[in-house]
Amino acid sequence: MGAQGEQTETKIEGKEENGASSAEPAREPHRSRLRQRLTRPFGSWTGLTLWLLLLLLLAAYPYTGVSSLALLVGSQIFVLVTLASNWNLIGGLTGYVDFGHAVFFGIGAYVMGILVTRTPLLISPEWGFWQALPVSGVAAAIFALLIGLPTLRLKGPYFSIAMLGTFMAMREIARVLRPITGGGIGLNLPPILNRLGDYYLMLAVMGLVVALIWWIRRSEFGQSLIAIREDEVGAEMRGINTTLHKIVAFMIAAFFTGIVGGFWAWQNTFIDPDVVFIETRTVEMVMMSMLGGLGTVWGPPLGAVVIYFLQDLVWANLFGVHLLALGLLLVVMVLFLPEGILGTLGDRSSTSLGRLLGRVGKGS
Amino acid sequence: MDQLLQALVSGLLLGGFYAVMVLGFSVIWGVMGVINLAHGEFLMIGAYLAWGMFRLFGLDPFASLVLILPLMFLVGYLLQIVLINRVVERPHLMTLLVTFGVSIALANLFKILFESDPRNVAVSYNGSVELAGITFPIVKTIIFVAALLIMLCLHLFLQRSRLGKSIRAAAQNKNAARIVGVDINRVYAITAGICIAVTAAAGAMLSPTQAIFPFMGPPFTLKAVTITALGGLGRIPGALMGGIILGIAEIFVATYVPGIGTNLGVATSFVLLVLILVVRPQGLLGGLRPLDAEAE
Repeated sequence: MGAQGEQTETKIEGKEENGASSAEPAREPHRSRLRQRLTRPFGSWTGLTLWLLLLLLLAAYPYTGVSSLALLVGSQIFVLVTLASNWNLIGGLTGYVDFGHAVFFGIGAYVMGILVTRTPLLISPEWGFWQALPVSGVAAAIFALLIGLPTLRLKGPYFSIAMLGTFMAMREIARVLRPITGGGIGLNLPPILNRLGDYYLMLAVMGLVVALIWWIRRSEFGQSLIAIREDEVGAEMRGINTTLHKIVAFMIAAFFTGIVGGFWAWQNTFIDPDVVFIETRTVEMVMMSMLGGLGTVWGPPLGAVVIYFLQDLVWANLFGVHLLALGLLLVVMVLFLPEGILGTLGDRSSTSLGRLLGRVGKGS
Repeated sequence: MDQLLQALVSGLLLGGFYAVMVLGFSVIWGVMGVINLAHGEFLMIGAYLAWGMFRLFGLDPFASLVLILPLMFLVGYLLQIVLINRVVERPHLMTLLVTFGVSIALANLFKILFESDPRNVAVSYNGSVELAGITFPIVKTIIFVAALLIMLCLHLFLQRSRLGKSIRAAAQNKNAARIVGVDINRVYAITAGICIAVTAAAGAMLSPTQAIFPFMGPPFTLKAVTITALGGLGRIPGALMGGIILGIAEIFVATYVPGIGTNLGVATSFVLLVLILVVRPQGLLGGLRPLDAEAE
């Protein structure tokens, strides 16, 4: 199954490389294969093995006697990596650039907040978290199904804007539904500090999500998503149920974003519409994926780590301007690094932003 | 009955403002195919400029338009030359990302400069007149009249003047316009200048009626998209019609859905937008260019 997926992938890429001359037999297949090996430093199985090794190292990290601050930083980075990978599934692989993905984060956070503070059926706050966490994800996925049915029919910029609208509308609704969401006052969750538990939970979620993206990228499902990105009408003609594929990808991405949102609400112990439904979160997801390389498995995690440390640097030195810097960085990146880091390094599995967006290009 | 009439009049007045608010957005989209996600931020800048002049020199927001228009024309002109002209030929989502970045940067720049505290411009004539049982807020009525005036001027400019004709030519067929000697980059820069000046003017006029804060922009951007979907691209009568539809829809939701006030403005306009885009992807009047056609 996996090998088959890879073969298809090679075929597609070979075709793209040769461009118009695809009718000729592929030139020197061995050399191009070798080149592919060399230019893809994180080749399929090697990549997963390295990832598992990294996870083991990270799991051992707390035993070296680190401070609780280091654990907090760790879990924050894992959150960013998870978010970036999730966004990449819908924005990078499927090519539906989602400008409102933070809405799922917000829904997850609010489901967690409401369940923990307003329902008496939970055993205890500590255990309530474990009951509420899956519900956060499921709620986000169901919302993705409902909102995806109309919005995923829209193309290109219209989808992006509709999702931005979804996001802003949900923030407004969270503000208006005061009896349930606490309105502008927000909700206070029970402050239960467990940095080590947070660290391992997010490590597990991150490990799972990135491995899942890796698997999807190789699977037939992932190839269908890429086909939708490259040419949706063509994919449909070849018998791919595009609506089903898009919705499923959207729901997966929403599910884990909701989980992360629920976790974040728990860790932050306070939510209100402005801290949960915040544009910055979407911008971060877009930027981390773009910086690493859209549509690659390892690009978004890389981008997330880079952005985290960039922000840390800016945040520490120039208090308050980090969002200004983030906006400017986005502009600079689109202008000068549209292929992302892995794309620029020559990873052929990366989607150049230009190519991804060229699908809806304006021509001339 | 009175409530219905009142809602209609309020919606109409709001719609007039929306129409002038959306002009800059829909002309930029129509002429150069750029969806300006930083639209609301330029509105916010206009509002802050009006507030600043009101506080420093006691200048009335409507009088300060004389200064705001040329200043923001310059800002728009430079922005277009420095940034947007570089990406305008690139795919749609590229410009979307750039303007998204500009929007975040501008909102946060103003947050650093002016804090997040809401500001307001308290003009002396902030009352209302009652006429045949219907209340007309004075400021909003002035905005409505000023909006109609601005739209008329822009309409005449686009239809009659030589520059206006080259802008329309560039919108219809860029390459043909180039062949007959239109300097596209210059025309784009002037278009952006005018559009951003008009947007900032709308913000300045808005300043007496609502609180001014750095993050007030995005809802206006979303409403601008909705109105454009309703009324079509770059067409002034369309903008007026779309603005009035959205204005009336919002006021009706606020009047007849109890207990929420005007708090669901964004949600209303979002529902309208998705409905239009799904049911009629070409826009209500067929004014939105389908993306596939643009690739040709």
